[in-house]
Amino acid sequence: MSEQLSDTVASSDLEAAARNAALAAGQESAEAPSPEAGEGRMEHLSMQAALNRALAETLAEDPRAVVLGEDVGRLGGVFRITDGLQARFGAERVFDTPLAESGILGMSVGLAMAGFHPIPEVQFDGFAYPAINQIVTQLARMNYRSRGTMPMPVTLRVPSFGGIRAPEHHGESLEALFAHVPGLKVVSPSSPHEAYHLLKSSVAVPDPVIFMEPKCRYWQKGDVFLDDAGPLQGSKVVRPGKHVTLIAWGAMVARCLQVAELAAEDGIEVEVLDLRWLKPIDAEGLAASVARTRRAVVVHEAPLTSGLGAEVAALITERCFDTLRAPVGRVTGFDVPYPSGDLEDEYIPNIDRILFGIQRVLEYRRG
Amino acid sequence: MDTNLQPAALPAEELRELYRLVTAVRQLDLAAIAWQRQGIIPGYAPELGQEAAQVGSAFAMDPKHDFIFPTYREMGVALTLGVDMTAYMSTHKASWHGGLYNPVQTRLAPIQAVVAGSVLHAVGWAHGQTLAGTPGVALTYFGDGASSQGDVHEAMNFAGILKAPVIFFVQNNGWAISLPTEAQVAGGTVAARAAGYGIKAITVDGNDAAAVVQATREAAAHARTGHGPVLIEAMTYRRGPHSTSDDPGRYRSLAEERRDEGPDPVRLLGDRLLADGIADSAFLDAALQDANANADRVREGVMALGPRPGSEMFDFVFAEPTDALQAQARAWREESEHV
Amino acid sequence: MAEIPFPLPDLGEGLIEATVLEWLVAVGDQVERNQPLVEVETTKSAVELPSPQAGRVARTYGEPGETINVGEPLIVFEVPDNTAGIVGTVPQEAPARRRVRLTAALDED
Repeated sequence: MSEQLSDTVASSDLEAAARNAALAAGQESAEAPSPEAGEGRMEHLSMQAALNRALAETLAEDPRAVVLGEDVGRLGGVFRITDGLQARFGAERVFDTPLAESGILGMSVGLAMAGFHPIPEVQFDGFAYPAINQIVTQLARMNYRSRGTMPMPVTLRVPSFGGIRAPEHHGESLEALFAHVPGLKVVSPSSPHEAYHLLKSSVAVPDPVIFMEPKCRYWQKGDVFLDDAGPLQGSKVVRPGKHVTLIAWGAMVARCLQVAELAAEDGIEVEVLDLRWLKPIDAEGLAASVARTRRAVVVHEAPLTSGLGAEVAALITERCFDTLRAPVGRVTGFDVPYPSGDLEDEYIPNIDRILFGIQRVLEYRRG
Repeated sequence: MDTNLQPAALPAEELRELYRLVTAVRQLDLAAIAWQRQGIIPGYAPELGQEAAQVGSAFAMDPKHDFIFPTYREMGVALTLGVDMTAYMSTHKASWHGGLYNPVQTRLAPIQAVVAGSVLHAVGWAHGQTLAGTPGVALTYFGDGASSQGDVHEAMNFAGILKAPVIFFVQNNGWAISLPTEAQVAGGTVAARAAGYGIKAITVDGNDAAAVVQATREAAAHARTGHGPVLIEAMTYRRGPHSTSDDPGRYRSLAEERRDEGPDPVRLLGDRLLADGIADSAFLDAALQDANANADRVREGVMALGPRPGSEMFDFVFAEPTDALQAQARAWREESEHV
Repeated sequence: MAEIPFPLPDLGEGLIEATVLEWLVAVGDQVERNQPLVEVETTKSAVELPSPQAGRVARTYGEPGETINVGEPLIVFEVPDNTAGIVGTVPQEAPARRRVRLTAALDED
């Protein structure tokens, strides 16, 4: 591992940067199965199990991958995402850390400098805050600072968002915070299938990826087509429609699909777009959908102000200004701290609030 | 480091009161676990085994002058300080994160979930006493797990430099969820670190309520008289799970628990009272009955807690609300309350 | 639901069996880790066996007076497959409910 580092510092920056990126990305192209449509293995898995499987396969295929975090070893993680990994791959590659999130992220930066592919876990979204210093000041800019000689192939798993009636700091939506930091990529799966493939592909990305797992969806099962990932980049239309596009990610995708079902009863055909990658955002995918529907509502759990919905609205407006029939709507959490369980359902966009949002863009008339 | 603090006998009435308190905490703690199983509360962080450490330390403080900074597992501290326990338990009912009690009146800071999050606050509050010339001492709780957080280093260093009147009370209960202290605390003890900051340290048997009272009184006197901070490491054992959803069988065996748990703090104190002739078994029985009656009252109170009004989401964000937030509150009312 | 069996543990040197004296829990009970499950008698002594884990009692083996060999089933626990994380609850999938209906008249070009 250390040879790679000393080797690269000796060569020119850009060469080294290119080689490092290729090396880090190489994992995927070497291991990627060749999917054949309609064939291949399919399993009905919870997101929990799908993520566990993706990690196990990553550890088996990539000798430089290491998993670290609080209680990820013997316990198997507080959500059991790393269950059995320490027993299978050893306590050197799957290890428990002391209780210090900044330490976990700082260690991951150092491990990446030594040529490893760290997959740290921050136990809950709210405990990413104590790690923000290392994430923002170090992890996100080490590639830049080192002129490309020290890429950071670090995938930070963060059980995210609300919906489980948990204590404070266990239901935060940090995507806008992360997406705002230059040097970070951000992704959030909405289903077991997406979770399996997006985690495997995130680990192969030569840059830091913040992987936001919707914790309230850990237990629902879905079909995972193991050999057929489909496109790993960009967004995905998960339900076609022609009157309005609902844009969501993480747990809100399932809710928007429910809304689309109800809207259909009222004669409104809603297209649901799972954004998946929150950085980079698939602007062309957004534009393609909204060009068809000519109306858009973005839905997220995070507070409204400076939330990712604002970025989505701006991207759509820039590309579809002439065809839009209404300003892009936003249905979001409020500008308040994530509330206690009693008020969770008031805070998270519910079906009615999303329907109101749709109604507003449908009613809108220019002039 | 004074590791051989010999507990001088406390007055008999104090020992009896300590017994009433640890018993009340024990029974309420056991009851809360049952409430979670019965669906009354969504979750709870038991403190089984830590009753003496919590009751003893809080008992030694002076709520007229002092201020206490808890984490989320200090129910015994709250009960000892006389906090309304329904208001305290509301945090576990998911009514309000910080609990519904008034922290200013009770001298107990809001419950908070970031381990070591409040340790620096205690140093700041304590330094405020120095600046204001008031005699208050801050007491902040954290565990062996939290001692790994960088904030704890910062807090001890600040406190050492400022000679702040603060007590760092470490409940070393052996486990941070699944990680045992030996995999958490390099060097084996948190108390040993105090020397590096020039801070007085006391290691005390955290299962011995009277010893904890003694240690905390000594620490408070030290801090109150301008001699600076004190670190107390109370050695105890988390006899239960980390939380009601935790399964300790995944990381420790019953045999290991038997080996490591030490004496039961409630029984230890009861046996001492009986042996010293300070109380008889009728007294212990009465304490248990009172404790169970109290737990029943709190249960009724918790069950009677209705859901919080949604408007409270908006009420406490700012001291001076913004127009934009008030507009969001109006939109929420229109869409969610009056559909 | 998953079932987790708990066989009679080795209760001491050379003991290969124990006699059930009294069950302290019944089928259907929710038991906590460490809660006494059953009183058994070996050739050396009578002991209470604590529960190795929390769960609902699905089955017990052995009526009072019956003998069980070490390693044979003593009790079976039922635990949910979808255990919650260290905090919080497992959300239940509820059917989609709404109060709002969409009423907009579409004026497509």
